[in-house]
Formats: sequence, structure tokens, C-alpha cells
Amino acid sequence: MTNNPIVKGKLVCVALNDSDQFEAMQAEFGEAPYKSAPTQPVLYFKPHNTWSTEGAEVEWAVTEGQPAEEMVVGASLAVVIGKECCRVSPEEALAYVGGYTLVHDFSLPEKSYYRPDIKGKCLDGSAPIGGAVVPASDIADPQTLSVITKVNGDVVNEMPMSRTVRGVAELISTISYIMTLQPGEVIAVAFPGQRAAVAKGDKVTSEIVGVVSLNNQLGQ
Amino acid sequence: MKHARVLLNGSELDVTVEDSFSETGQLKSKADGQLINEADVTWLSPIAEPGTIFALGLNYADHARELAFEPPKEPLVFLKGTNTLTGNKQNAYRPDNIAFQHYECELVAVIGKEGKNISREDAMDYIAGYTVCNDFAIRDYLENYYRPNLRVKSRDSLLPIGPWLIDKDDVGDISDLKVTTHVNGELTQDGTTADIIFDVPFLVEYLSKIMTLKPGDMIATGTPEGLKDMQPGDTVVCEIEKIGALTTYIVSEEAFYGDKY
Repeated sequence: MTNNPIVKGKLVCVALNDSDQFEAMQAEFGEAPYKSAPTQPVLYFKPHNTWSTEGAEVEWAVTEGQPAEEMVVGASLAVVIGKECCRVSPEEALAYVGGYTLVHDFSLPEKSYYRPDIKGKCLDGSAPIGGAVVPASDIADPQTLSVITKVNGDVVNEMPMSRTVRGVAELISTISYIMTLQPGEVIAVAFPGQRAAVAKGDKVTSEIVGVVSLNNQLGQ
Repeated sequence: MKHARVLLNGSELDVTVEDSFSETGQLKSKADGQLINEADVTWLSPIAEPGTIFALGLNYADHARELAFEPPKEPLVFLKGTNTLTGNKQNAYRPDNIAFQHYECELVAVIGKEGKNISREDAMDYIAGYTVCNDFAIRDYLENYYRPNLRVKSRDSLLPIGPWLIDKDDVGDISDLKVTTHVNGELTQDGTTADIIFDVPFLVEYLSKIMTLKPGDMIATGTPEGLKDMQPGDTVVCEIEKIGALTTYIVSEEAFYGDKY
């Protein structure tokens, strides 16, 4: 596990923000245990033991003393908060962004969204953040960005921000009414609904073309 | 020994709380031994560098019955942001336009040593000490996604903690401590840690199989039955035998946020 110089305080991730997935799950949302579709952003924390860096190897998960059968990865555009952000409107929200980068969320497969997924999501070193932080002033509109993820060179996912249920400004605003955000806190705003399966030793590269890339490799 | 952190004239200060505190109201500076009147300070969270905050849902047999849940077969663990932390005798807010916000008096075990794959038998070696928290919840905001979600459980000021961290060895056995809450002087929650389903050694083993635990990480172990709605103006005191009593003042959202409201 590696300390990450970018994130401080907290890393908040947004689940179920891919509108393709959100539409595809409508029938499932109506059933137990969910019973109705979420009315609010579905958020989870990746705690400090998960934070890692560009270039870091990601440990293969161990569950119940055995190597995990499966792991998956999702990549997201990550917003790095630049100044204290408390109860801001969507119109004001982007002014609180210091910069943009990427997050890899390595985890066990997302089988249920009913309970907080501590076992699946809190693995040591499972949240590399980076490589660089692109200053917010270089990005006119984060909704035009798209994150491409490759495993061993093959494209496995593309998540354009135009496909989100909620955009960056709305998410910052909503979250800032729940918790005051501090400089260096990070929000991973949009993972693709279909996480990509990975195997031991795989090289995972995500990129916002021409802007930032993040490279990691699974351990053995 | 009881360790606390306070603000005195705008500076953070580490203090100890001696046995004489209940009579003298005086705290002792760790830096120079100076005695300080409680009236002159603002209590802070006793954990200087808070790490991951784990909290348990439905972890008392009586509380699970109260909420009409089967006791869980596996711990229901959720995480809280450090923005939720505040100290003893501070304000916590009731959001506007909600119907039910309740306190939850909880024993908190604070990790003192880094470890992974810690066995139940060795677990207590990794605990520095204990404190008390009030893990407020707003039931209106529950949804069946990552339940209980961050909107319910990660709001500013809604995890008062303290007043102090007491060393593990000063408490000894934690398996039958009285857990009480008083609202405006009325006893509303009256339980015992004997009703805890997954105890501290179990939780240390369980969590450390998943992830590395680090000093400053905290495990809030759940709450017994006795839920009651809170309103601005209420004073809530959460107390755990041998550990301490934590006082919180409920204010409105507007009063809490002031200019930022």
C-alpha cells in the first residue's frame, strides 16, 4: 500500500451513475431488497488504506484466507476539491474544483448495492489515484470528458461523462449539502456500470485522451 | 489515563483528565502541566488524526428486535467521514423538514497499532483505548442502497465523540458496561454492552481480514434499544460506564451553518 499525495481526508465514490446501467436495472430496482429506484446519488467511501498511486501494483484480493476468484476494475473521472466547499449550488460548484484526475476502483465484483460493500471495496491499495492532477482551469467543461480503460492493451470500457445520470456540478452540490468538503478531498464521479474483469498480472490503463492517464498492474 | 484535546484561546492543546476533574473542573496540559479550567476550553474529538471510522448497525440484540430485524449473521459495517466528528458539549444539527432523527450511544474502540489478519485472541493488543460516540441517524434519508447511506450517516457534526480517550487497561473488561442516554435529563436508552452481538475482538479480526487497520481508526460498536426523536433545544448525554459521558446540544440546520445556511 502506498500513501497518495493527491487525496486528503476522504475519497467519495458515486455508484450507479452510468445511465445505461441505471436504465437496465429499473426492473431490479423495483424488487427486494431495493423496492424502488434510488432517488439520491449512491455514494461510498474508499478509506485511507485503499489509497494508492500511478504505477503501483494492486494486490490480488484474499477472501476467507484464499485468493479471490474474481476481481473487477472501474475507472472514473476524479474531482479534486480546491477550496472548502459547503452547501454550494450546482451553478457555483465547479468553482470549488482544484483539478481533475483519475481513480481506479479495484474490487470484488459488485453483486449487490443493498449494504455498504466493505468486503468488496475496502481492499488495501485498491484505489490508485492519479497520475497528474490537471488544473481545473484547463478543463472548460468536465461533461465533455470521456474515460477509456484498457486491460493489457484492449479497450474494455469507455465512460463518457455525457452518459451520466448526474453530472459533476450536480454531484458536488448534492454532496456538499451532506458533508463539507475540504481541499484535497476527491470525488470519483462516474464509473462504467459494467466493471471490467481482471486477472492476476493484468495491466490496467485508463486515460482521458490528451489529458491524464493512470497505469496499474495486478499482483500475482 | 484519560487523554483529551481541547481548544484554548484558538490553539489545540493535548490534555489529561485526572480523577479530580469531577470536583475541580480542571484539565492538565500535557506540554507543561498547566491546569486549565474546563470553562475556558472547547472540547475537540480526542483522536488527533482520525483514520477510518467504522460503525456497526444492528449490533445489539435488543435494538435489532426494536427495529424488527433478525439479528445479522454477519456484522453490518458502514463507514463515516471525518467531517462528522465533533467534541463534547458541542452543537449537532437537526436537518430541516425531517420527521425522525435519533441519537445512538456507542462504545468506540480506537486502534493503537497497525495490523492485518489479526486473530480474535490477539485483537485487544491492537486497541489503544475507548471513547463514547453519538452516532446520530436521520431515518427519513434511508434508502435501500448501501444502507445506511452517507446521507443518513456522514453529515457534518453528527458524530460527537469524547469527551476523552481512556486507556484500555484503565477500563479492563468491556463485556458488561452500562450504556445510557438521557435527553433533557430523562433516561431514554438503558442497555449494556453484554447485548453486543459482534464484540470488539470479533470485529478486529473480521475487519483486519479485509483490510489493514491503522492507529486512529475507530470502531463504533452499535447501540442498544431506546430510540427517540430529537429537536433543536434538546440536550443529549450519552454515557458508558467506566468510560465517560458525552454531551451534545441539538440546534437547527440554520443555527448550525449560520452564514453558510
